[in-house]
Amino acid sequence: MIKIKYTSSLSVVVVTLLAGLLGACDKATYEPYKEPPPSIKVEQGEVQAFCPETIDPTWREAQTIAGVEIQESRLCLPDNPSDIAAFVRGTNNLTMTQLMGTQLSTDALVKGRDLDGDGDPDEIHIRLEVVELNGGSPDSSDPMTTFEIAPGVKPGFWAFAPKTRGMATENFESNVANSMLRLPSPTIRVEQGDKVTITLENSHYFPHTIHLHGVDHPYVKENGEGNDGVPQTSGPMIMPGQRFSYELQPRHAGTMAYHCHVQTGAHLLMGLIGLFVIEENRPNNPVQTFNIGAGHVRHPSVAVRESYDREYDLLYIDTDTELHNIIRSSNDVRKIAKSMNREYKLSESTPDYFLLNGRSFPYTLRESIIVTAPDENVKLRILNAGTSMLALHTHGHKPTITHYDGVELAEAAQVTRDVIMVGSAQRVDLKLSTHNDGLHSYGEGIWLYHDHTELGITSNNMMPGGNIATIVYESYLSPEGMPKTQGVSLMPYFSPEYYQRKVPVWSASDPDGQLGEPQGE
Amino acid sequence: MNDSPERKFSAIGPRGLFSSIGVIALSQLVSGHALANEPGEEQLFRAEAYDASEQRTDLAIDKTMEGSCGEGKCGEGKCGEGSCGSNMRMDELAMVMNENKDNIPKDCPQISEDIKLTVKAGREYSLGHNGTIFGFDANEWRVSPCSRITVTFINEDQVRHQWMIHGLPKYLYPQGMYHMELNGEGQVTGTFIVPSNEKNYLVHCDIAQHMEKGMKAQLVVGKGDGNLPSIPGISGAYIPPAE
Ligand SMILES: [Cu+2]
Ligand SMILES: [Cu+2]
Repeated sequence: MIKIKYTSSLSVVVVTLLAGLLGACDKATYEPYKEPPPSIKVEQGEVQAFCPETIDPTWREAQTIAGVEIQESRLCLPDNPSDIAAFVRGTNNLTMTQLMGTQLSTDALVKGRDLDGDGDPDEIHIRLEVVELNGGSPDSSDPMTTFEIAPGVKPGFWAFAPKTRGMATENFESNVANSMLRLPSPTIRVEQGDKVTITLENSHYFPHTIHLHGVDHPYVKENGEGNDGVPQTSGPMIMPGQRFSYELQPRHAGTMAYHCHVQTGAHLLMGLIGLFVIEENRPNNPVQTFNIGAGHVRHPSVAVRESYDREYDLLYIDTDTELHNIIRSSNDVRKIAKSMNREYKLSESTPDYFLLNGRSFPYTLRESIIVTAPDENVKLRILNAGTSMLALHTHGHKPTITHYDGVELAEAAQVTRDVIMVGSAQRVDLKLSTHNDGLHSYGEGIWLYHDHTELGITSNNMMPGGNIATIVYESYLSPEGMPKTQGVSLMPYFSPEYYQRKVPVWSASDPDGQLGEPQGE
Repeated sequence: MNDSPERKFSAIGPRGLFSSIGVIALSQLVSGHALANEPGEEQLFRAEAYDASEQRTDLAIDKTMEGSCGEGKCGEGKCGEGSCGSNMRMDELAMVMNENKDNIPKDCPQISEDIKLTVKAGREYSLGHNGTIFGFDANEWRVSPCSRITVTFINEDQVRHQWMIHGLPKYLYPQGMYHMELNGEGQVTGTFIVPSNEKNYLVHCDIAQHMEKGMKAQLVVGKGDGNLPSIPGISGAYIPPAE
């Protein structure tokens, strides 16, 4: 653009401008040419492998352990089949060797008598603890008991966890949380009519409770104690070091939730919320009581197997790191409480990470891809635990909404669409058909599914991030659980530098740096 | 983390494979199939013992599991970080790992002294230290070199607590660790023998945030070799060396 020299007279400016636009100005002057700075090479930093090699590949195979049938799980990071067997049998029904194959405490999950004589246990005693992930230390600025939601990203979290034993980390040399201690809080599964006891053993430094959201439970227990987990109406909080048992015998099946009801705006968002699924009663139907990290259900219930080939639990939550990192701002529990409850302003919250089953893209691809094959029905149970509406979009498919908040819709009301709105705390059950009829599915491939509110696909305002994951047909999946993508390389997203916003987003496709980082910027 | 220099930080590690601390037999670590069917082996408890943990009945479960790695292999190769000759006993209330009543450290001519310690744990013991929430009834114990120490560990809370000591010789204690854990309120007793060198050993509860929020202590052998940081009532936060 030619620069016009100003004169003092407005009219002359107008005339000169017009002349310039007409290309008739031979008086235009300009700065001397100066070559813009070259692009500098930005170090990508350490790039992690898509799939850590430490996983035992046999974990992905279909297998039977301790009499429990476990479905194939072709994810990069499948759940440990030994854990699943324990979740179906109960820790009390395992041999010592079998129990040692898990990190569960002896009393984490006690399955008792078969009360209705239909071939499965109906007395279920679940013990939960509260774990802090990426917490603080007076001696180090590094997070303690770490859980990475994306490369290099470790906001503080709290989660319910099955009662474990031994160290909180995976081994003495590591500071990484052991596999039972993670986000989100596990899905809990029971059978309709089970006599369920949930004991919260509060191993955390703040008070907590369990509120059963949508789950049929009496307001008071037989002994008169409050059973609703709401401190202001039901009963006292479970203080640090204390234990309390909730009792229920749910009559209605469906996809429900549970969460802490102490300072709920903070405690729920810190991660103390999970799916609570009540499966329809069937004979010989011991269910997988915990689904750690939600995701693929490798031992679906009899009722689910009647209608579906596979089942996935999907929990969405958003994270304002300003709230989450309060737990590392001081080691004094009083100061943490003050900062979280009296200084942090939820009204000014700005969520910056968006998680599906505790992880953001690209880690969602390691463990939250929906694996399927043509002509299948896949059941998806969705909980939005976040602060804003989830507009879940499935590429290449139009799933059918079968249930809202655990209640089946009349057939005429079961809508088939490709953006599913899920409000805060709502649950939606979807039937994803992979029949290639141009409506339910457009055929085999790698199809994204993600929140279409756009903010939901960012991590610290970087894209692609957030809760992006994929529906992957088996023919597009490598033996290591990696989708055989054919677009740009995914590897830059596996570096912490990318989400620290240090790397130009198209570096991998732009070796000459024409869209890169100008020197001196 | 100056207090336990052996603990390293790694970004991505095995997920669950070495998740049990030292109690998975070697073959299971290698195959990853820790939960094979083993006909003939007794069940831990029977289903009739539903909610036995509330009754705290003694089911006399006292099995010792031995790994198969010897000295020098710890922490490397197929032994993994988890299984170097660990031994443990466990019942529904408690777990004791790497107990050692008889193996005298090679630098000790004999056991110098038999010491009995009682350690109490619970929220009540945090009351003396502002800003903490869990605690031991003492944050320091002094013993003589080459002594044999029998600890009775009492948990007064309704949640798990541990008494875990680090930095012992690895040829006697896999991962250099001796560990006691209570599943809830109750008590357990176990024994270990310290070597001759004068040293301050880290003692803590390894449940997430329990050490940071009060359950940190030291076992001082002889004159020791200096206080560890952030021990309630004894020392403040670690100061990193100036660069
Ligand atoms: Cu809470
Ligand atoms: Cu503790």
